[in-house]
Amino acid sequence: MPTMETDRLIDDYLRRLDHAAAHMRPARRTELVAEIREHIEMALRQEQAAGEAAVRNVLDRLGPPEEIVEAAEPASPHSQVRAGKLEIAALIALIVPFMGWLIGTVLVFASGAWSRRDKLIGALLLLLPIVVLGLGFVAAAGPNGSEELVPPGDLRPVGEKEEVPISGPGPLEFVLFVAGLPSALYLGWQLRRDPGPSPTES
Amino acid sequence: MEPGETRSGLSQLRRGTVEYCVLALLRDGERYGFELVRELSESAGLVTSEGTIYPLLTRLRKDQLVTTTWRESESGPPRRYYQLTESGHAALASFVKEWARFRDSVDAILNGRKGDAHHGD
Repeated sequence: MPTMETDRLIDDYLRRLDHAAAHMRPARRTELVAEIREHIEMALRQEQAAGEAAVRNVLDRLGPPEEIVEAAEPASPHSQVRAGKLEIAALIALIVPFMGWLIGTVLVFASGAWSRRDKLIGALLLLLPIVVLGLGFVAAAGPNGSEELVPPGDLRPVGEKEEVPISGPGPLEFVLFVAGLPSALYLGWQLRRDPGPSPTES
Repeated sequence: MEPGETRSGLSQLRRGTVEYCVLALLRDGERYGFELVRELSESAGLVTSEGTIYPLLTRLRKDQLVTTTWRESESGPPRRYYQLTESGHAALASFVKEWARFRDSVDAILNGRKGDAHHGD
């Protein structure tokens, strides 16, 4: 029979765990807390006891939440690095087509504020729209035979005889500026999501 | 616990070894997480606390040495069962071999029987 006191003990413990895991990826963090919660429930069910002493025993055996997090993912030096000028410059550069993409990517990889994983995801998020765009452009530029080899960067319509669908100023330029956005947004979000200890606990 | 102890040599050794103990426990068939954790924590000196085993299980899963399946249980909520994968079996086998050599050498040196790496039991 759980009481308010035992519930509070368990909640406090899980909150400490969640708090200690602030630097972890959200999905991983949620999973860890859920696993530990299940463990507590299972342990109490097995001991057929839910009194305060039983709960304290279960929590003691689990060990300090900080130790669990340390075993999962020691707070890496990455999460200590705050976003500085380099990171801001990188994010802005990523939005600028061509040279910006290149410079942005170099800056991102030079920075210590992102993990290697995030850097790779950022690069992929940049590459993917560009490739898709490139393919789309090639397909649109040369639907019938001879013009298929026009490089994606070449905007000039091939000869006057044919209407080239994307020769207008609008959509392509727009799309070029959008291509860097997913990557910049993702990396920016990863920077924001690196809080120091949040003031939720005493 | 001292803050530094989590990174001490002994805890590193423990951490590296316990992984294979998990694999060994799964050698003869699947088990669910709680059962694994209790069994490991009841072997003296193997783990400092039960909670640290869960991250380890996650790591094994990520490294594809184990897979997991959720199953209904007669009493209570569904349980996550762990099974050894083929590469888990392989990793365990090579560890068992390495470990025997390692243990014998360490024992020999600790007991001052240098050069006598073969254990006499």
